[in-house]
Amino acid sequence: MPTNTYTPLATISLTGTDSEIVFSNIPNTYRDLIIIASGQSTAANANILARFNSDSGSNYSWVYMGGDGSSTFSGSSSGTSGDWGNFPNAQSVSVFQIMDYSATDKHKTTLVRSNTASTYAIAYAERWASTTAITSISLTISGSGNSFASGTILSLYGVIA
Amino acid sequence: MQIIEHQELSAAQASITFSSIPQTFTDLLIVTSLRDSGSTNGWTNAYIRPNGLSTNLSTRVLYGFSSTVGSFSDTFIYHETVGGGSSANTFSNSSIYIANYTASAAKSISVDTSTANNGGNAINAIVAGLWNSTAAITSLSLVAEVGNFVQYSSATLYGITKGSDGTTVVS
Repeated sequence: MPTNTYTPLATISLTGTDSEIVFSNIPNTYRDLIIIASGQSTAANANILARFNSDSGSNYSWVYMGGDGSSTFSGSSSGTSGDWGNFPNAQSVSVFQIMDYSATDKHKTTLVRSNTASTYAIAYAERWASTTAITSISLTISGSGNSFASGTILSLYGVIA
Repeated sequence: MQIIEHQELSAAQASITFSSIPQTFTDLLIVTSLRDSGSTNGWTNAYIRPNGLSTNLSTRVLYGFSSTVGSFSDTFIYHETVGGGSSANTFSNSSIYIANYTASAAKSISVDTSTANNGGNAINAIVAGLWNSTAAITSLSLVAEVGNFVQYSSATLYGITKGSDGTTVVS
């Protein structure tokens, strides 16, 4: 029997703007999680920010590389939310792969692919410095007053090892 | 994720097409392994054509090969195949993710693409693509840029369906 992949866990299709999307009560029965965010935000220069289990401590760090169509850039940073990549007011798709999300013996790694054909192609590697199993994921848009735009779809999938 | 169709070429041909794609999934994933029959030692492009079309496409790319890194934009979806002049038996390896392929909105496309070749003449790239059309994708073609796709080139089409497990909550 082939191993199931991309088992749908939850999805939301926005009929209006929304400043925060929260996936909660995530079961611990999968190996990895995948989130697909398809749509746009309400701001021209905005990123998706992520928090696990409502943790607002300085426990998030990331490294990234990207191209804007003429120049390249790379860097690293840290903060009280994970920076999960560019999500402007233009059609975008972002893929988030959270590895070993229910493990209690390691920090949590997320691979991010951020794609907006009119702005950037970017890849991130993220770390949440906690050995706690992930049971909830909060996604917001950077910048005061910014939101996910109407029509955006965010879907969470579980992957069995 | 569910496999929709797998194609592996028994002989060289100019393109690989998935037609009559079911409209019952949410997203599509295509995994490709390709080699071009042309004489290029390195890489060539394998054009991605939603519904067989080459219009309303755009791409923004970050690439690296040898000690070179760069970025460009263009009016096709960047996706690589190994050129026929490269090391024998080497094929490209790429994944193409198309979100909400049946929606009446522009289609965002994420591509991770890489080639292999002795001597380091190989490329790796991440691609942000867009098909700016409100039409649902009912077919998808991969078209060789230089020659034909050689025997044993392959592509697999998967469908991914969003939904709920009845336990996880989203708000």
